[in-house]
Amino acid sequence: MTSPLSGILPVGIGAITGVAGAQTGVPQAQNADGFASVLASSFDQLQSAQKTSDTLATQAATGDLKDVHDYMIASNEASLATEMVVTIKNKAVEAFNEIMRMPV
Amino acid sequence: MAVFDTLGISASGLMVNRKWMDAVSDNISNINTVNPTNQDAFRERFINAQAVDYGSGTGGVRVATAEFGSGEGRMVYEPDHPLADKDGYVKYPDIDLGDQMTSLLMAQRAYQANLAVVERATNAYQAALRLGKG
Repeated sequence: MTSPLSGILPVGIGAITGVAGAQTGVPQAQNADGFASVLASSFDQLQSAQKTSDTLATQAATGDLKDVHDYMIASNEASLATEMVVTIKNKAVEAFNEIMRMPV
Repeated sequence: MAVFDTLGISASGLMVNRKWMDAVSDNISNINTVNPTNQDAFRERFINAQAVDYGSGTGGVRVATAEFGSGEGRMVYEPDHPLADKDGYVKYPDIDLGDQMTSLLMAQRAYQANLAVVERATNAYQAALRLGKG
């Protein structure tokens, strides 16, 4: 009887230390340019590109636009950034689904 | 934006050439501007372009300064002109239309070249993104 109890306890301690290790591991992964940070930075880029494009669209509508090409390039850039983020998102979802389909 | 840098660099080229065309149109529109001889004639506009980076790695070009030509002008004998001095002379700007048309041609072609870069770069980026769709 003592041997199963002594067997359980090390498992519990092992699990706790495992969780603690995972918790300290997450910020490290973010610092080391993990996939999450790549995704976050591309979202930031998308947001800034769309913001620039929006500002220039307003300027074009109100007649304050100085350069036609500025707006065209900004909207081009915003569309490319959107395409990129969507592609990255699709790839991530695909990878997740692939993992979920894994037989256990 | 770090990913699509080419677009920003080409945009700076477009900006400089647009300003050059502005300067040329200013010169051409004022080519017949008459001033009295005791004032400066219309001074020709020049655009002084300069590379942005000098090793910083940002790339692109910018207008460093807009320079002005000489205000000396050409003395033309037009005694009937209301601005003529007592000897019958007025001042015309010293701008050569041939020079201006050549500059305009260069500015326009350079503008188009930058636009071509934008187009090709967009196509290249789109081709790269299509890799991820397969």
